[in-house]
Amino acid sequence: MKMLEVKGLKKSFGDLQVLDGVSFSVEKGETVAVIGPSGSGKSTMLRCLIDLEKADAGDIMVENEFLMQDGVYVQDKKAQQICAKMGMVFQSFNLFPHMSVLDNLVCAPVSVKKEPREQAIQRAKKLLQEVGLSDKADVYPSALSGGQKQRVAIARALMMNPDMLLFDEPTSSLDPQLTSEVLSVMKKLAEEKMTMVVVTHEMGFAKEAASKILFMCDKEIIAEGTKEDIFDHPKDRRIKEFIDSILS
Amino acid sequence: MMNYLFSIALLMMDGIKYTLEIFFVTIILSMPLGLMLTFFRTSKIKIVKAITGFYVWIMRGTPLLLQLFFFYYGLALISDNPLFREALTLSRMQAALVAFVLNYAAYFCEIFRGGLLAIDKGQYEAAKVLGLSKKQTLTKIVLPQLLRVTLPSISNESITLVKDTALVTAIGVTEILYFAKARVNADVNASAYLVAALFYLVMNFVLTKFFAYMEKKYSY
Ligand SMILES: Nc1ncnc2c1ncn2[C@@H]1O[C@H](COP(=O)(O)OP(=O)(O)OP(=O)(O)O)[C@@H](O)[C@H]1O
Ligand SMILES: [Mg+2]
Repeated sequence: MKMLEVKGLKKSFGDLQVLDGVSFSVEKGETVAVIGPSGSGKSTMLRCLIDLEKADAGDIMVENEFLMQDGVYVQDKKAQQICAKMGMVFQSFNLFPHMSVLDNLVCAPVSVKKEPREQAIQRAKKLLQEVGLSDKADVYPSALSGGQKQRVAIARALMMNPDMLLFDEPTSSLDPQLTSEVLSVMKKLAEEKMTMVVVTHEMGFAKEAASKILFMCDKEIIAEGTKEDIFDHPKDRRIKEFIDSILS
Repeated sequence: MMNYLFSIALLMMDGIKYTLEIFFVTIILSMPLGLMLTFFRTSKIKIVKAITGFYVWIMRGTPLLLQLFFFYYGLALISDNPLFREALTLSRMQAALVAFVLNYAAYFCEIFRGGLLAIDKGQYEAAKVLGLSKKQTLTKIVLPQLLRVTLPSISNESITLVKDTALVTAIGVTEILYFAKARVNADVNASAYLVAALFYLVMNFVLTKFFAYMEKKYSY
C-alpha cells in the first residue's frame, strides 16, 4: 500500500525556484533516505509534505487522500486531518523548553486528542524507556545532551501514533557519538516497519537502514533506487561527484 | 522624634491605599491590554499595525505627567457639547487610572513584542506538526515562554510603576507623596519625605523579592 505519493511538486520562494517537478512514492513500512547536495531543496520538499511550506504545483497524496491536488490544497480542516497522520523530527529538536520531558510528550495527545492524562503519561513512560531515557522524564530539555533531546523529540512524535515519520537531518547538529544513539533508535523504528522519510547526510544510515534512496539535485530527484543503484552503480555524474565529495 | 515619624507614617497610611490602588489596577489591566496591543502591533493587517504603532509612539513619546494633565484637565475641553463634557469629566482617581493603564499598556506592548521575537519559529512548527491549534499553540507554547522571557522586564516596569504613582500628586490625588508634601509644608520639617521614601523602598523591596522568586520558580 502506498503511504505517500508525490507528483510534479513545484515550489518557488519569490523568484528562486527550489523544487521543479519532484515525484516519488513511499510504500507502507518503507524507510526512504533522501540525500543530495546542500541547497538542493531536500528540506523544502519535506516541509511541503507536512504543510509547513505551501507548494505551488503538483499532487501530494497521503494514504490515498489528497493533501494537494493539481496545486490546490484541500480545506484547512481536511489538511490538518491528513497531516496528523505524519510526525516530524527537526534538526534543531524544537522541544518545548518550558515543559519537562514528560510534559513535552504528553502535551499534544492530551490537548489535541483529548487522551486522559494518566493514560498519556503511561504511554510516555513506555516510549521514554524505549528510547533509553526513563530517568529523564522530569528534567527540562535544557538539561539534556543533543542526542537525548533528539530521542525525546522522536518519542514526542511517536506519542501521536503517526503512520509515517519525516526526519530533516536529525543528526546534523550532533557529534558522532550522539549521532549513533539517535540512529540506533531510528534503525529500531525501521525494523519495526515504521514508514519513514529521512533527509540525511549520514551515508551509513542510508546504506544500512534505508530500503530506498532518493538522490536530490538541482531541484529534482535525479535518481531513485537501492543502495547498490545509488552508491555502487551511480548513473549520473552528479551522484558520483557527491559521493566522492562525502567520502573524501 | 520617633513619635513624630510614627505619627507621619500613620497619616500616610491613608494615602497608601491610593498608591496601591493605582499600582494594582495598572498592573492588572495594562498587562493584558499590552499583550493585546502586541498582537495588533504584529498583525498582518497593515492598518491595524500602523495604528497600534502610532498609539505606542504617542504614549511612550510624551511625558506621563502630560498625559495625566490631559485626562484630568484637558479631556473634557475637547468638546463644546455640555453632554459630552459631562461624560468626559473624570474624577482625579479615574483620570489617574486611565492615564496609567493606557501609558503602561504601551510599554508592555513593546516588552511583549520583544519577547515574541525571542521565541524560535521552530516552536510554532513543532506545535503545528503535533496538531496543536492556533489557540493551543498560543496558550500552551507561546504565552508561557513569552511571560518567562519578559519576566525581568516586567519586574523592572513594576518598580518604575511604584515610583510613577507619585506623579498623581500633581492632579491632587491624595496618595503618599501628597501627604508627605503637606506635612513638610505645615511642619517646616523634611522628615516626612524620608518616611515617604521608606514606603516606596519597602514596596519595591517586596516586589523585587517577589519577582526573584517567580524567575527562580519558572526557570528552565
Ligand atoms: N523560507 C525560505 N525563503 C527563501 N528561500 C528559501 C527558504 N527556505 C529555503 N530557501 C532556499 O531554497 C533552497 C533549498 O533549500 P533547502 O533548505 O530545501 O535545501 P536542502 O537541500 O535542505 O539543503 P541542506 O542540505 O543545506 O539542508 C536554498 O537555496 C535556500 O536558500
Ligand atoms: Mg535542509
